[in-house]
Amino acid sequence: MAPGRAVHVAGLEVRFGERRALHGVDLDVPAGQFVGLAGPNGSGKTTLLRTLLGFVEPSAGVVELFGDPVAALPIRARARRVAWVPQSEVLRDDVPLLDYVLYGRYSLHGALDRDTAVDREVAGRALSEVGLLDRATDGIAGISGGERQRAVLARALAQETPLLLLDEPTTHLDIGHQIDLLARVRRLCEERGVTVIAALHDLNLAARFADRVVVLSRGLRVADGTPGAVLSEQLLARVWGVDAELGIDPGSGLPYLVPRRLVTEAPRALGDLTGGPVHVVGGGGAGAPAMRALVDAGFRVTAGALHLLDTDAETADALGVVAAVEGPFAPLGEPVRVRHRLLLAEARAIVIAPFPVGPSNLANLEDVRPFVHAVPTFLIAPRPGFELDFAGGAARQAREELKSMGAREVASAADAVAAVAAALAPAGRPAAPALPAER
Amino acid sequence: MATTGVGPRRRVLLGALLAVGLGVLILLSALLGAVSIPIVLGLRILLHELSGGFLFPSACAGSGLTASQCSTRVLIVWQIYFPEVLLALLVGAALGLSGGALQGVFRNPLADPFLLGLSSGGTLGAATVYIYHVGLANADLYLPLFAFLGSAATGLLILAVARGRYGSVETLLLTGVALANLLSAVLSLVLLYNQQGSLQVTDWLLGGLGLADWNVDGIVLGSVLVFGTLLCVFGRELNLLQLGNDVAQSAGVDAARTRRRVLLLSSLLTAVAVAFTGIIGFVGLVSPHIVRRLFGTDYRRVLPGAAAVGALFLLGARDVSYLAFPGSVLPLGIFTAFAGVPFFLFLLYRQRRASTMGGL
Repeated sequence: MAPGRAVHVAGLEVRFGERRALHGVDLDVPAGQFVGLAGPNGSGKTTLLRTLLGFVEPSAGVVELFGDPVAALPIRARARRVAWVPQSEVLRDDVPLLDYVLYGRYSLHGALDRDTAVDREVAGRALSEVGLLDRATDGIAGISGGERQRAVLARALAQETPLLLLDEPTTHLDIGHQIDLLARVRRLCEERGVTVIAALHDLNLAARFADRVVVLSRGLRVADGTPGAVLSEQLLARVWGVDAELGIDPGSGLPYLVPRRLVTEAPRALGDLTGGPVHVVGGGGAGAPAMRALVDAGFRVTAGALHLLDTDAETADALGVVAAVEGPFAPLGEPVRVRHRLLLAEARAIVIAPFPVGPSNLANLEDVRPFVHAVPTFLIAPRPGFELDFAGGAARQAREELKSMGAREVASAADAVAAVAAALAPAGRPAAPALPAER
Repeated sequence: MATTGVGPRRRVLLGALLAVGLGVLILLSALLGAVSIPIVLGLRILLHELSGGFLFPSACAGSGLTASQCSTRVLIVWQIYFPEVLLALLVGAALGLSGGALQGVFRNPLADPFLLGLSSGGTLGAATVYIYHVGLANADLYLPLFAFLGSAATGLLILAVARGRYGSVETLLLTGVALANLLSAVLSLVLLYNQQGSLQVTDWLLGGLGLADWNVDGIVLGSVLVFGTLLCVFGRELNLLQLGNDVAQSAGVDAARTRRRVLLLSSLLTAVAVAFTGIIGFVGLVSPHIVRRLFGTDYRRVLPGAAAVGALFLLGARDVSYLAFPGSVLPLGIFTAFAGVPFFLFLLYRQRRASTMGGL
């Protein structure tokens, strides 16, 4: 065995009939590393793991475990180098936990051997490492799902292999058990020098526990490096088709991703990013649904005039919506109002959200007035019984005036998007149906 | 938890009880048969023969029997009843083992030697002898031979499928079930056009120990010892196979090879049983379940346990048939069902979980 390199994969190609599950994958894993294997469903993560286990025969390429080609290792010898924790293991018989873990000792025995004291010691240690030593005599059918997955880990640990492969081991676990399981694996990696390759759906968990994240997409290795280097908004958009926001956890300094929504192709047909923006007048969070729905539908969106720290201002920031923003809780000042009017002047349609109006933002409704004649303008009606006017009737009056000037009232953010799309659609081409608004 | 079986101490006790019970049952069983033999005389004859004439040098002394009457009694007990008892034990063990191994390898509580068509193949083989009078002069030789060949051929056919790319557990099981149905249909067709032979074949179908003698016992004993011992070695592999092929393989078990070998050995065991005793149902199905109830689900214990339970069970069925209908020889398959089903159902419903294999 060449120490130092646990896994060597070069030019790996795996075919299932016509379909190519992996192509040209290279991967070198030094001993003792914890590799998080990420990628969408069908990207080849499981196939790669199964190839390392020798379950799948590659159609081309090199797969070596500790210096020896997997195919050249007899099944039993393989089992002394690599152990496996599947996503969920079928457990048909009700076996006492300790006996179950002892099954993992198979590869170390001849056909006629009995379980030895060493086997029991190793199995006991494996159970204590997963925190189940006190349940050793319990039947495996009687323990909880989280404990069961730990039992499976203990069974794999009893093999005492230098390499451990885990295929989405946390899929059926709640968040607490997910962290618990991966933390235990991490500790094994650090204390015993076990090399770990784990396919993980949750990128944040991968970032938190893995030394290195390898991303597969459609059978290709598309990213590889430390979590900080690999995880990015661009990667999520490209590989998972998800629009995400990247942050750095101040406690650990590790990156975390907050997925926002799907980056979809089809809805882009509705909006037209090359045209002028659609402007949302909002405040107090009332504009957020319209902003989201418009962005989702593919429109370029501007907003105003909002207050810093207000939900609408934060949403605009997260969505990349250009907005005129005033300081927190302050009345709208002249510079902000000018900026707001500039945004309104650029807009080719205006959506007025059902935002609460007080003296500090009454100016918003006044500033819209000059543009109502020029571009299609839609007023989203407040939900019934929802009072918007905190300006002594001035707000209600202003909204009525806008209606009389030609602003059309619609029932919801989704309706507003549909109406905007219809109003902006080129003549003769019916607008595509609007997407339902989020939330 | 109750479902995990019993503790080690109780396990040893149960094992010892089983052994003692078996010994007593064997001796008493050898006194039962179509002709009744007084218990004391029967035991004297048995102990005389078993000790090679050392005990009770004159077996019939004091019984008032003439020399020829005595030698007839000796013949009945030692040449007919005792071989019958041994054959019941050996065939029961073979069927129990075979059933346990097949349930393990197919991960299916319904698997038994007969579900896979092994028995149908044997019956068809036997029917060939009866109906087409193949070497009728040597019927005693050809009948077991053809039954064995029919049964083994079916096993090998399934095995051939197992070697190929359709060798998944489900495909194999379904192949066996389909084959069993096909063979039954062929048999029905053959019987339909050969009515004169159908009574004999029906008799065969119901199973019995009528062919028992020391030669037959020797052949069956050899087969059970060789194939059975080899089969018991697969306990660890079968344990791991319960976790699925992939997990078993990741732990070092060559799943496909294990499956082929276990299937081959089970087929051979079944073929030998079918060859000499015809179709005796239920033993192969029930014995492993009883063992799992009593001794837990570790196949290193299930396999020898199923052999012991199967042996005891078949012997019990034989005894019940003679006790219930003294003086007549009734097909054994009937009694395995009569004796086995109530006991099995009792075990099944005594615990709340209705299955020993979980989920199914």
